Amino acid sequence: MKKIFYTKFNAATLVLIPACIGINYLGKLFAQLLKLPLWLDSIGTCIGGVLGGPIIGAVCGAANNLIYGFTTGDSITLIYALTSFGIGLAVGIMARLGLMKKFGGALLTAVVAGLAAVAISTPLNCIFWGGTTGNIWGDALFTATQAAGMPVAIGSFLDEVVVDVPDKVITLIVVFAIVKGLPNKLISLYEGNEKIESLD
Amino acid sequence: MSYIKVENLKYRYPGADRLALDDISLEIEKGSFVGVVGANGAGKSTLCQAFAGLVPGFYKGAYGGKVWIDGLEAAKTPISELCRKAGLVFQNPFNQLSGAKDTVFEEIAFGLQNFGVPKEEMIRRVTNVMKMLDIDAYGDCNPFDLSGGQMQRVALAGILAMEPDVILLDEPTSQLDPAGSEEVFRAVLKLAKSGITIIMVEQKMEKLAQYCDRLLLLHEGKQIAFDTPERIFSREDLNDYGIKAPIYTEICRKFEVQKENGLYPVSLAETLLLRDRFPKEEQDRGGMLQEHTAGTEPVFEISRLNFHYLAGKPVIKELNLTVDARPTAIVGQNGAGKTTLVKILKGLLKPVSGTVRYRGADIGDKTVAMLAGEIGYVFQNPDDQIFKYHVMDEVMFGPLNIGMDKAAAEKKAKEALDMVGLLELADKNPYDLELSERKLVAIASVLAMETQVLILDEPTIAQDMYGKQTIKNVIRSMEKQGRSVIAILHDMDFVAECFERVIVMAHGTVLADGTKEAVFAQEDVLKEARIEQPYVTGLFRELGFCGMYFSV
Amino acid sequence: MKSISLYVNKDTFLTRMHPFTKFLYIAAAISISLISGRMRTFCLFIGISFALLISGKIVRKVFPLIAFSFTILITIFLIHGLFHDGNVTPLFSVGPLRFYREGIVYAAKIGLNILNMLLAFAVFVLTTKPAELVEDLERIGFSPKFGYIVSSVFQIIPQMSQTMNTILDAQRSRGMETEGSLITRAKSFLPLISPVVMSSLINTRERALALEIRGFEAKQKRTYLREDKMKASDRALCIVMTAAIAGAIVWRVAAYVLY
Repeated sequence: MKKIFYTKFNAATLVLIPACIGINYLGKLFAQLLKLPLWLDSIGTCIGGVLGGPIIGAVCGAANNLIYGFTTGDSITLIYALTSFGIGLAVGIMARLGLMKKFGGALLTAVVAGLAAVAISTPLNCIFWGGTTGNIWGDALFTATQAAGMPVAIGSFLDEVVVDVPDKVITLIVVFAIVKGLPNKLISLYEGNEKIESLD
Repeated sequence: MSYIKVENLKYRYPGADRLALDDISLEIEKGSFVGVVGANGAGKSTLCQAFAGLVPGFYKGAYGGKVWIDGLEAAKTPISELCRKAGLVFQNPFNQLSGAKDTVFEEIAFGLQNFGVPKEEMIRRVTNVMKMLDIDAYGDCNPFDLSGGQMQRVALAGILAMEPDVILLDEPTSQLDPAGSEEVFRAVLKLAKSGITIIMVEQKMEKLAQYCDRLLLLHEGKQIAFDTPERIFSREDLNDYGIKAPIYTEICRKFEVQKENGLYPVSLAETLLLRDRFPKEEQDRGGMLQEHTAGTEPVFEISRLNFHYLAGKPVIKELNLTVDARPTAIVGQNGAGKTTLVKILKGLLKPVSGTVRYRGADIGDKTVAMLAGEIGYVFQNPDDQIFKYHVMDEVMFGPLNIGMDKAAAEKKAKEALDMVGLLELADKNPYDLELSERKLVAIASVLAMETQVLILDEPTIAQDMYGKQTIKNVIRSMEKQGRSVIAILHDMDFVAECFERVIVMAHGTVLADGTKEAVFAQEDVLKEARIEQPYVTGLFRELGFCGMYFSV
Repeated sequence: MKSISLYVNKDTFLTRMHPFTKFLYIAAAISISLISGRMRTFCLFIGISFALLISGKIVRKVFPLIAFSFTILITIFLIHGLFHDGNVTPLFSVGPLRFYREGIVYAAKIGLNILNMLLAFAVFVLTTKPAELVEDLERIGFSPKFGYIVSSVFQIIPQMSQTMNTILDAQRSRGMETEGSLITRAKSFLPLISPVVMSSLINTRERALALEIRGFEAKQKRTYLREDKMKASDRALCIVMTAAIAGAIVWRVAAYVLY
């Protein structure tokens, strides 16, 4: 347990956090540019979780939404800081359990992260927006469930599932591809041995 | 005791199998100026970081021996304490700003804030260093909006404001254009006069010869020599360590002009003192002034080209130009419109008015992707394109995009890598390579597409002697195959050495266009475009020779 | 460089106001409205926010923000007006669609809540310089590391966006297509995002060095170039708003106990 949550909070992990937040932003921007039907706005949070561990991942996620909320006036984003926190934490834990080393593990991580997002977002959606997510496909499904007379919570849950799980699957495939290619000298900054060997 | 003392220093990075520093021992007195020279991978940066305590404090790894700075043992002192004694400035100006401050003034004050320096004292120190480094006009600018040379001086100011006793300069100009480098060198000269101890890693040997009391020559982590510049540069085995002596030394060696003590001069002043010993200029200079074969059929025909990003601010004005297959260099100050012009040739930007024809066909009708197989363009920063985990895959990306099958792409990629001398590194992760090597990977990735035209944007920045030689070979072999090379360059010596045709640009128009002999002879044009003659050419002129000389 | 912050550099009473005072206003506007639960209170605070924005000469900047959340508001009205759980009283019909009173009221509440939050935040966001906010937070005991993260995001995002176009050009130069079928577009995502992710992660190493050699880990108490500018008027406003929040809670509890 201790090993899973162990976090170095030095200059190297500190500068990782803003970089990850920037990556989130760029992922979203490129997805829009290429007109992809996904958000892809949590790539950085997931990288933060994989490299720095669950705590850093969670900080990346929460800081991401808080900073945007407080500076770009997008108060809707603000509430979902909790969701991003959960995604970063989930990915960090899965990575520390060694699941991000293989492709299959990455897919499993994606499902876990997606479900974490659903579990946290659904109540938020219900409280603040009466169950919608703002994604066309998800909201279409939500409308269908409401038309069929299902409770808001179930409709909202399904709405989140169809939106978040595929998004997280693609996100983690991208993250897996990127982290696999990171040079050794960088990885050793986060995972390296704290001890200095003596050559005397 | 000397201010800096190093005893049997050894260091190995975590995960590496080779020692980055292998048994270094030396002493440096307060107030001296020491240069550190060696090829890429010699251990120069690692040594600087050992003085600053980053090796081993930041990187960990394996460490042996001892380093004392002003009596403090570097390995046992926290970095935050040691950095007040020895301040480090490194290559990339961009990365060494804190990244958290939105004005230059606050950026420079960042270190002082961390040490709790009182507000009035902070303002006094920041104001002083800004004045000293000529950046007082930019106090309220965002540091990231500045040019490379200005940014690097802000980084230097941020270190100087902490008032360290020693300044470690790790190739501070290697990623800057010549104008930016000059700005930084002027600042270094001011510092040297102020009496502060300076340790400087640098590839520009002329500068080191001018400033340094002593030079440390490193090779593969080992200390080869620690001596005066003239002794180091007079060594016969210098080339074995990947070092080219200053041009003055090279010329004196060629003509066997030695000083009384048997050593060669290292500076212009010293060389000119021995002016009489040089042989008289030979009248028959057929080899030097031979008429180059005039260009063959035109590759690009540009007529009345206009371009602007914002209406009312023209970047290119009524430009007419014909480019043929000869290797062509485009030179001029930043903002002259060089990069814009080549981007139009590549189809990345569309002309506002006028036409550009490539082999007779208007490129206005073609997309970037259609031109990809014909015209290759290597961007300045390789990190804007590299995304594969193996050098080989990266180089194969372009050929596969333009429709080559896998076998053909692999063959072309191998040939391209061989040409830039990186075939051995084909299986490496590009991001594990040095910046200079990544730049060569980017060149190879475009070479492999076998385009008729190759456009290079500032290929020589960050390259050492070997890298420049490699690029020269690429240009030569393209020329032999009848493929054209167009390069934007600031390094006039490299232009003189490798190119036949030179186009001088300023304010969006062509100021001069012709053979290098013709262009470099027009001193008024050079002045207007604010570019210098090549070093060699200038030196021969000073020595009283009449002709144009471009190599020793 | 284009900043992502919406701060409008104008010298008004709002920009001179201490960030914490404005922050407390957000807290008051949202919490008092939610505690009272009445549409009237929401409208009151929406009115106050508008008045502040108008007197701060920045009201025009807030319309794009409202427009941005407009689509989600429309969806909410549609879905709940048509299908809300407790819908019984028909209000009006548009063709075959019948809207109900209960659903529309429910949606209106959500809408007012969103608008109220948005405007209260706008008062804060449009008039507060991020760098000043960060310094003020550090002064009351937030870690400088926290401050670094926030300020650094402001610098890093415009930088990364700038490289976006260069990468696009570089990959297109090597023959990569970015338009066409979904598969083609999806395939180009990795070549576009990877270079900037890789280089920004690799840059973190040098950035970390840069912080170390400028004493970021030093243990001394930090000093600042700006003065703390909590004025008497700020203090008075803070007291008033705290009292209002407390008042709302007392009123609600009292109402609950009495009835």
